[in-house]
Amino acid sequence: MMSCSCYSLTRKLLVTAIAVALPGMAVAEPTNADLQGQIDALQSQVTALNTEVNQATEWKNPNTLIHTAGYADVGYVKKEGQDGSFVVGRFAPIFHYQYRDIVMLEAELEFEVGEDGETEVALEYLTIDWFLNDYAVLVAGKFLSPIGQFRQNLHPSWINKLATPPPGFGHDGAAPVSDLGLQVRGGFPFAGMRANYAIYASNGPEINAETEDGIDYELDGVAAEGFNADVDGEKTFGGRFAILPVASVEVAVSVAGGKATVTNVEGEEPPLPPGTVGPVANQTARDYSVYGADFVWFTGNMSVRGEFVKTKVGNDRSAGVTASDGATWQTWYTQVAYRLPNSKWEGALRYTDYDSPHDSVDIKQAAIGLNYLVTNTFIVKLTHEFNEGKTDQTTGVKYATDDDLTVLQLAYGF
Amino acid sequence: MKFINDTIHSSVFFAAYLMVAGGFLITALLTTALFTTAQASNYPAAGNFSEGSKVWAENCNRCHNMRGPKELRDDQWITTTFHMRLRAGLTGQETRDVITFMQASNTKAGATQVAVESSTGATGKETYEKTCVACHGDEGKGAFPGTPDFTSSDGILAKSDAELIRNITNGFQSEGSPMAMPPKGGNPNLSESGIKAVLAYIREAFGQ
Ligand code: HEC
Ligand code: HEC
Repeated sequence: MMSCSCYSLTRKLLVTAIAVALPGMAVAEPTNADLQGQIDALQSQVTALNTEVNQATEWKNPNTLIHTAGYADVGYVKKEGQDGSFVVGRFAPIFHYQYRDIVMLEAELEFEVGEDGETEVALEYLTIDWFLNDYAVLVAGKFLSPIGQFRQNLHPSWINKLATPPPGFGHDGAAPVSDLGLQVRGGFPFAGMRANYAIYASNGPEINAETEDGIDYELDGVAAEGFNADVDGEKTFGGRFAILPVASVEVAVSVAGGKATVTNVEGEEPPLPPGTVGPVANQTARDYSVYGADFVWFTGNMSVRGEFVKTKVGNDRSAGVTASDGATWQTWYTQVAYRLPNSKWEGALRYTDYDSPHDSVDIKQAAIGLNYLVTNTFIVKLTHEFNEGKTDQTTGVKYATDDDLTVLQLAYGF
Repeated sequence: MKFINDTIHSSVFFAAYLMVAGGFLITALLTTALFTTAQASNYPAAGNFSEGSKVWAENCNRCHNMRGPKELRDDQWITTTFHMRLRAGLTGQETRDVITFMQASNTKAGATQVAVESSTGATGKETYEKTCVACHGDEGKGAFPGTPDFTSSDGILAKSDAELIRNITNGFQSEGSPMAMPPKGGNPNLSESGIKAVLAYIREAFGQ
């Protein structure tokens, strides 16, 4: 009580003092010199501020921009019949260097840790993108294959709704991974709709042949992984054309064609150019073609997408050639993802059917996923694959592709 | 009398001086600030903000979850959007529009645009179809995750007009929400009466 009244008394006194002092201050007429001094002080303050502000803008306005992005994932993997392991999936930094609106360099490295603990580094892509005009960009270098959508648009772990890629879209699968050459791509309005395209010329793939008994050889896989030399001298040409009839739908077709040669035969040191001795000798370039179609449709909280890819390699009937029969690889998937309205939970379902010349890798897979979106780019994913592989005709036992797989993954895109 | 006159005179002079000097300082600071914003980068050429919000809403969640303006700095949006131009197959103009939208929307709510207060004379329905539909959808249910469903009965339309008008005007991001509502839906020309009209339309068309 006491302190309270003391306090209010002090306040009253203060207020009175200020009330008396204020007019008094105004009364004390400032001299010209005082005013001049104040103006000078203000002026030097403004000059200092201006300098500071100008210096502060300096970094904001360079002609060169440097930016890193990328993604990483870690997790826990449990395969049917095996013990589970903690794993580091990959660390994939992306580097961007841009000079004004003329050119951009983009490069993605992929660091992975092998089961033996060794770190492997791969150059996922490296391109110089020259922005020619509003409708065309020249992309030169090693690029993600423009065929279809999974490789170029969906494979980063923070984007893929499931913790694993659909079978056939990995390495040696039906869908090409990357290629090395020149690409022109862009978007344009088309009859009131959006459209986009990519066309390319590249070194193209190489073919692997394998043998089970050392006598009969057959084609094992098409390695479309952006080779830095065109061993057979045969270029591949291809592209993708997509149209968006409405903003929420994109449908696209892809084709690629050219020649490809067996450059790698099981038991030989790769790569052996044609003309050298051994099973690679006498190989001639075979017809190589890829067809693809893909779509995406999204509405509110749901997205539906699907993709079909077929890779075909022709016969080589010249004398003395191993694995003279051609082969076809084919895969398709459809995926539905649904995010519960106003929540961080998302469910995903994907069905894939991959068919290759080899029973041991053929697979039908239903994958189911439950995702928790901590943020839009930091996602906790629980994925389970129900896998159905084929049976080995000689032993009557199911191939390892038949084993189910569960993955818990933390994926972060940055 | 002379003393009082002089006193008044000098106080007025002093006050006027303070006002002019203060005004000068504030103007100086403001112009530098505005100048700085406009000069953040002199490339690419400025795009169209509301076209940009549309291109963004329609394209940027096709492959991955929506990436909101507040995630990156102005210069980072240039490289990222050029990168996405290649991925998404955008035209150069769409790219510039998105950059303009991103750069203007990553500032603190309220500090965004220098609003040009002029009524466009559009009806609430016209405004909705021009400015809001890209994010809120034809049926008011939201065009992508993070936008509210206006039609849900216990939804946000239960809030008062005053609160909703404030949130539309200044922009708004609720706790933990992945996406922000841009001030005036990204249309700086939207006047106060325009906002009232569009809110009335939203209530009429989607409210329960
Ligand atoms: C066609 C698919 C696709 C569309 C459409 C798309 N993105 Fe992306 N986005 C990607 C992919 C793929 C990546 C991962 C980068 C990589 O692996 O090269 C990515 C990465 C990003 C990143 C991370 C930073 C970076 O540069 O890698 C941001 C931010 C981003 N996108 C924003 C956007 C915005 C904004 C839009 C709309 C203009 C958009 N995206 C449209 C496929 C797409
Ligand atoms: C670029 C996308 C975008 C545009 C354009 C847009 N909004 Fe929004 N709006 C949002 C998002 C996102 C939210 C939810 C923000 C949150 O909850 O964090 C929202 C929320 C709202 C809300 C709810 C606010 C609250 O208090 O809960 C109203 C009302 C609204 N918007 C009205 C409008 C109107 C009117 C327009 C057109 C003039 C418009 N919006 C344009 C994205 C947009």
